[in-house]
Amino acid sequence: MTAAALPENNFFNAKKGIMSWLFTLDHKRIGLLYLYAILSFFLVGVVLGFLMRLELLNPGQDIMKPHTYNQVFTLHGVIMIFLFIIPSIPAIFGNFFLPLHLGTDDVAFPKLNLLSFWLYVLGALFALATLVFGDGPADTGWTFYAPYSVKTGTNVTMSVLAAFILGFSSILTGLNFIVTIHRLRTPGMGFNQMPLFAWSLYATSWIQLLATPVVGITLLMIIAERVFGIGLFDPSIGGDPILYQHLFWIYSHPAVYIMALPAMGLVSEIIPTFAQRTIFGYKAIAYSSMAIAFVGYFVWGHHMFTSGMSGTAGFIFSILTFFVAIPTSVKVFNWVATLYKGSINIEIPLLYMMAFIFNFLIGGLTGLANAALAADVHLHDTYFVVGHFHYVMFGGTGFAMFGALHYWFPKIWGRMYNKARANVAFALLFFGFNMLYFPMLILGIMGMPRRYYDYLPEFHGLNQIATVGSWILVSGLILMLANLLIGLKKGKIASANPWNGITLEWQTSSPPPLHNFDKLPELNEGGPYNYPDAKKA
Amino acid sequence: MEENKNKNNEHQEHISSYKEHFGTWSALILLTLMTVLVSVFGADLRTLSVATAMIIATVKVLAVGYYFMHLKYEPKIYRTLIIIVMALFVFFLVMVILDYLTR
Repeated sequence: MTAAALPENNFFNAKKGIMSWLFTLDHKRIGLLYLYAILSFFLVGVVLGFLMRLELLNPGQDIMKPHTYNQVFTLHGVIMIFLFIIPSIPAIFGNFFLPLHLGTDDVAFPKLNLLSFWLYVLGALFALATLVFGDGPADTGWTFYAPYSVKTGTNVTMSVLAAFILGFSSILTGLNFIVTIHRLRTPGMGFNQMPLFAWSLYATSWIQLLATPVVGITLLMIIAERVFGIGLFDPSIGGDPILYQHLFWIYSHPAVYIMALPAMGLVSEIIPTFAQRTIFGYKAIAYSSMAIAFVGYFVWGHHMFTSGMSGTAGFIFSILTFFVAIPTSVKVFNWVATLYKGSINIEIPLLYMMAFIFNFLIGGLTGLANAALAADVHLHDTYFVVGHFHYVMFGGTGFAMFGALHYWFPKIWGRMYNKARANVAFALLFFGFNMLYFPMLILGIMGMPRRYYDYLPEFHGLNQIATVGSWILVSGLILMLANLLIGLKKGKIASANPWNGITLEWQTSSPPPLHNFDKLPELNEGGPYNYPDAKKA
Repeated sequence: MEENKNKNNEHQEHISSYKEHFGTWSALILLTLMTVLVSVFGADLRTLSVATAMIIATVKVLAVGYYFMHLKYEPKIYRTLIIIVMALFVFFLVMVILDYLTR
């Protein structure tokens, strides 16, 4: 069912001119600014990753020198973590859809929201400036581990400043969302009537607000040590390198949930729409988001089992880490139970969500292997960790983000993409992704260390498979983005609610008007996912 | 959409007295001076000097939150959240110190 034309009153044509975009206070426009910026940096990160895989096609030097390789994987990590995965879902879809989900007209602090975007841009410029200033980008890995990061001649200071500024952007977004959720829900919407995406953003925002300052201070300490020679982390001047790792992971492990929780919120949002039935275990999913955020604070030490941390601390952190698996499993169980006996409509967004569950299960279960103290001694700093990490981050969060892009595409732009092409792109992405990263898990178990420029001959075959996988993955990405771009310009006009969704964003026109709703949206009786015509299981 | 705003935001204006503001400000200044005295002018507390500074800083944070940021007028949930946050911070410290002491 298609409408004849886009509604005249929409946020795209409410104001005209480049300045109306660059200094907009509208949460939807800010969300789109983030989308364009984040996708651009994502493509830079993809190119760097692609080049790394090309270098690893054969043992020895292929296309770059060892030092360049170190810089490339560092920049790949910094861009993908700080410029893509961390801001991606909250900054793009959180900004665009949180107020719509809550039935309000904007976030609590629109000006702070704009500041947050420009801080993001400033941080990104600092990160990219390392390419041309000083002795080139940092070669430390995205973790900036001391004491090497204190001693290397590469441009660590600028990279660290970039991460520091990006952290501020993240904190402000988190603060904005917390206040928005507490203060601006539509009348009658209690916390337990909020969509689960809002719940996941709420949990995420608390992590952004509380954990990010820790890494901010830690990164400044790196600069203080580099510039003023204060002995904080370098043992040769009285510092403790393990202290750096503690401080870094106190933030960076919860940050994994900044990346994963919003993706889980998307899955909880999209599955009921395509199963056309009430989500199974609403409260269990909502509270498990909070539980993951909370427990996530207590487990950072599992990144340090082999770094010289005490056995007592290692033992405690190993046990605590296993607790994270409980709320995560609660979510997966509820998603599958929601699909069970639903009226399943297999559309592109649902395919991406199913891929999320598949990939995330592999990522999560391999995470348990890393959490086990004894197993981790063998697996630490091998390609197993690289495979595990990419299964969670790209296979999980990346796929959820692509799924959300396909789900909300008709709501944002009022048009529909070509579904046949989208199917092919999905197949390429899913197949290419698994071909690229599954061999890494095997390589890790075989003992191939991560971040090495060269490798032994016995690792050659699996590295070749992984590199060919990267070609398929990149083909899928190009096709997916091209299809969306074509759909954006030439796609058929979509109806206001093409998926028959019932959360509040589907009550307004597509694209939405500047103030989101022409009249107060009506809450569903019995909760946000109470499908009236759903088949009762 | 105007009627939408603030329905969940049952916000009331609170005007604190000058006496309260001044009292809080004075307490903050005094605590700052105490931090400086302890650290610079050598109250020989050894390892306790860090703990002393942290305790003073915590009291200052509580004073700012409670009086200047009007936490005293807010619902109990916000005070509970502050307590959870502080408990998390204590956990960070305890685990890092535990690692250091048992290495």
